[in-house]
Amino acid sequence: MSDRHTAESIREELTHRDNQSLSARITENPEPFLRWAVPMVALIAVEFATWAGIAVGMIEALVVGVVAAVELTLNYASPGLAQVVADFQAGVAGMLRSVGGMLGEFPTLLSREVIPNQGHQTPDGAWQGTFLGLQPAVAWAIRFSLIMLYALVTAYWVFRGWLVYRDHYRESDWTPTDDIVSNLRGHRWGQFGIIVLIVFLTMAAFGSALAPSTVSQNIENTYGDESRIQYLSDDGTVETAFAGDANFNSKSKGTVETNIGLMSYDDYSRFHPFGTMPNGRDLFTFMMGGARITMIVSGMAITGAAVVAMTLSMLSAYYSGSLDLGVLTVADGVVSIPQLLLLIIMSAVFADTWLGSILDGGFLLALIFAFTTWPFLWRAVRGPALQVAQEDWVRAAESYGQQPRKIMRKHMLPYILGYLLVYASMSVGGIIISLSALSFLGNGLGISPPTPAWGRAISAGQSYVSTVSWHISLVPGLMIVLLVTGMNALGDGIRDAIDPETETGEGEEAAAGGGG
Amino acid sequence: MIFGITLSFLILYLGPIDPVGSILGRQATAADIRQLRIELNYIDAAGNPVPLWEQYFRVVGDLLMLDFGESWTIQRETPVTELIIDRMPATLWLGFWSVVIALGVGIPLGLYAGLRANTFRDYASSGFGIIWRAMPNFWLAVIISGLITAGGALGFYRTAIVETQVSGTPDALNNLFTNVDIFTGVPYLELLSIPVPNPGPWFVATKWILPAALVLGSSSMGNEVRIGRTAVLESINSKYVETAKAKGLSSRRIIGKHVGRNAVIPLLPVIMGEFYLLIGGSVLVEAVFGINGLGNLFFNAVLGPDIPLVMALVFIFIMIQILFNISQDLLYTYIDPRINLGESE
Repeated sequence: MSDRHTAESIREELTHRDNQSLSARITENPEPFLRWAVPMVALIAVEFATWAGIAVGMIEALVVGVVAAVELTLNYASPGLAQVVADFQAGVAGMLRSVGGMLGEFPTLLSREVIPNQGHQTPDGAWQGTFLGLQPAVAWAIRFSLIMLYALVTAYWVFRGWLVYRDHYRESDWTPTDDIVSNLRGHRWGQFGIIVLIVFLTMAAFGSALAPSTVSQNIENTYGDESRIQYLSDDGTVETAFAGDANFNSKSKGTVETNIGLMSYDDYSRFHPFGTMPNGRDLFTFMMGGARITMIVSGMAITGAAVVAMTLSMLSAYYSGSLDLGVLTVADGVVSIPQLLLLIIMSAVFADTWLGSILDGGFLLALIFAFTTWPFLWRAVRGPALQVAQEDWVRAAESYGQQPRKIMRKHMLPYILGYLLVYASMSVGGIIISLSALSFLGNGLGISPPTPAWGRAISAGQSYVSTVSWHISLVPGLMIVLLVTGMNALGDGIRDAIDPETETGEGEEAAAGGGG
Repeated sequence: MIFGITLSFLILYLGPIDPVGSILGRQATAADIRQLRIELNYIDAAGNPVPLWEQYFRVVGDLLMLDFGESWTIQRETPVTELIIDRMPATLWLGFWSVVIALGVGIPLGLYAGLRANTFRDYASSGFGIIWRAMPNFWLAVIISGLITAGGALGFYRTAIVETQVSGTPDALNNLFTNVDIFTGVPYLELLSIPVPNPGPWFVATKWILPAALVLGSSSMGNEVRIGRTAVLESINSKYVETAKAKGLSSRRIIGKHVGRNAVIPLLPVIMGEFYLLIGGSVLVEAVFGINGLGNLFFNAVLGPDIPLVMALVFIFIMIQILFNISQDLLYTYIDPRINLGESE
C-alpha cells in the first residue's frame, strides 16, 4: 500500500511538480524580465524589416523542404498529384515573398538608405549623396562597423536573456547546461569560434546592408532601373551610368592599369573594400552574397544530417539487433565511396531536375550534403547512444512502462545531444569546403550562376594569382579558412565545455572534418 | 562494399541522366537511339525495357569479374581498362609524393609539438596545423600554382636547376625507368630485363609534381599534426614513461620505444585514411594543376555521363580502400600486440 503510494507521489512530482507556467512565474516577478525585454524589443524594432525577412525566409525554406519531401514520395504514386503539390508550393512561396517584400518596407536604422555610401563628387570636390557628405569609404566603414556591433550586442543580449531566465525564472537551481556555459566562459578558443559564427551569420543576414553595393544592383541586374549610378566624369560634369557599364570599366584583369585592388575606388567613385572581380563586379558584395548561400546550405545540410544521425542512433541503440545492423550497412555503403566523388556524382546527376532549381541549386546541395554527412555523425554518436541505452535509468523508465519514443527523447537525447553538437560543428567545416569546391569545379555543379558562391570567385581569380589582381582568389579563400577554423574552434570549445577532463574521439572528428 | 556499388548503381541508373542523348547528340534519329539503347542494354532486342535488377546483376557481375566494359562518352568504344591504365601513372605519382610529404612533415611536426607541449613552439606548430586543416585544398592549389607560374613570388621554383612546367602531366613520367637487359648473352634469360630508374626524368617528374603533392597531402598533414600531438601528450604522461625515466633510460630510447610506438596507434587510422582524402582531393588538385590523372578522368566521366567508367572507377577506389582497411588491421596487431583481430568491435 505504501509502495504504491510512493510511486504515485513520485509520478505526481515528476509530472505536475510546480505546475506553474513560465508566464505565471514572470507575472509574479516581472521586473528582471522587463529589464531584459525592453532593450530586446528595441533592438529588434530598429532592424525589424531584416528580422522579419529572415523569419519569412526560414518559413519559406521550411515549406519548400516539407513540400519537396511530399512531392518526392507522391511522384512515384501519381505525377499529376505531385504537380498539384508543386503548384501549391509555388503559390505559397509567392505569397511569402510578397509578405516579405511588404515587411521589407518597414524603416530600418542601419540600412543603406540611412547611411548611404554611394555618392559622387561634385566639381568642387565635395561629396554628394553619401552619409553626412563623408567619403564613400568612410560612410561604408561606419555602416559596416555599426551593423557588426549591432549583431554582437544583439547576440549578447539574447544570451543575457538566458541568464535572466536562469537566475529568476527557472524552477531548478542547477542543470548541466549551467556547467557547460560556465566552462565556455573561460574558453577563449571556443569564444573565438562563437564570434566567427556570429560574424558570418551577420554577413548572411545583413549582407545587402553590409556590402557597398547590392547583389541585385552590382551582379544580377546591372542594367535595371535601380542600377543607375551618378559619377563625376573626367570633364568635370556629373553624369549617370548603368552599374553594368561601370563594371565593364572597373575590371581587375591583372595589369596595373586594369586593377581595382583592396580598399580602393574605381573611376565611378564606387568604393571596393575587397577590390573588383575580373568582370568588374564588387568582390565584397559578391562575398556577402556567397556568405548567405553558404550559411543557408551548410546550415540546412548539417541540421538535416544531425537530425537523421540523432534519430537513427537512438533507434539503433534502443532496439539494436537487426536495425542496428541495417543502419550500419547503409552507413558503411555511403562512407565507402569517397565523399567528394559521391558529391560530384550526385550533383551532376540531379542538377537538371526541378530540385536543382530551388535556391539556385542550394537546396539540392543541402540534401546531398546531408545524405553524405549523416553516416559520419551517426558513427560518432552511436557509441554514446549505445552506452546510454544500457543505463539503469533507461531500464527503469522501460519497466515503468514509458513509451519508447518518450524514453528516447527524455532519457537518451540529452545525453547524446552534446556529442552531436561537437561533431556537427566539426563536420560543418568539411561541408563548407566541399560546397565551395563544387562551385569551384563549375560545369553545372555547385550553386548556379549568377548567384554568388565563394568557390566561383576563387575560380575566377585563378589566372591572376601572381599578378596585381591577387585579391580575387586570395580573399575568398581566407574567408573560408576563417569560417572553417572558427567552426572547428567552436567544436573544440563545446567538447571541452561538456567534458573538460578528456579529449575523446580525435580520429573520428578528423575524418569528419576533412573535406575537399 | 557491395552496398557502395549498389548505391552508385542506383544513382546512375535511376537518376535523371541521359547518356544516349549525350552520345548521339541532338541530330540522332529514333532508329539510332533505339539501336544504341539496345547496345547499352537499357532495352532488349524486342524493345522492352530491361528490368532494373537484371541490369544490376549484369553490371555488378561484370565488375566483380573485373570486366569493366567499354567507355560510352569519353572515348567511344575504348576499353575502360585501357583508359584507366593510361591515366594511372600520373595519379600514382602524385599520390606517392603527397603521402611522402604528409608523413614526412606531419608526423615529425606532431611529435615535436607533443614533446614540447605548451611552449611557444608547440602553439606555433599546433596553430599551423589548425589553419592548415581549415584550408580548402583547391584554394591552396590555386594560390601555389599561381605563385609558381611566371612572375609569381615563387617563380624561381620553376626555373631552378631544370626548367619545368607547373601544370600538365609531366612527360618525364614515361621515362622514369629504362629497361636494362642485364642478361645479354646469357641463353634463355636474354629476354628478361629489369627496370632501372633514370635519375634525370625522375628528378624532373618529382620537381614537377611536388607543388601538387604538397597541396594534396596538406589535409592529412594537418590531421597528423593534431592527432600526433595529443597521442604523444597522452603517452608521455603515462606511468610506463615515468617508469622508463626512473629506470634511467635515455630520452632518445624513451621517445623511440615507449612514446613513439604508442603514439602511432591513434595515428594509424589517419595515415590509412589518407587514401580516402587523396581520392577526393585528386579530382580538385588535378583540375587546378591540369594533371591528366584518374581524378580528372573521373570528373569528365561523371559529366559525360560515362556510366561504365564511373562504375569502374568507384569500384576500384572501393577495392583499394578495403585493401587499406585490411592492412590497417594487420598493422595494428603488429604495432600493438594487445589488439586481438578475432575480437569484433
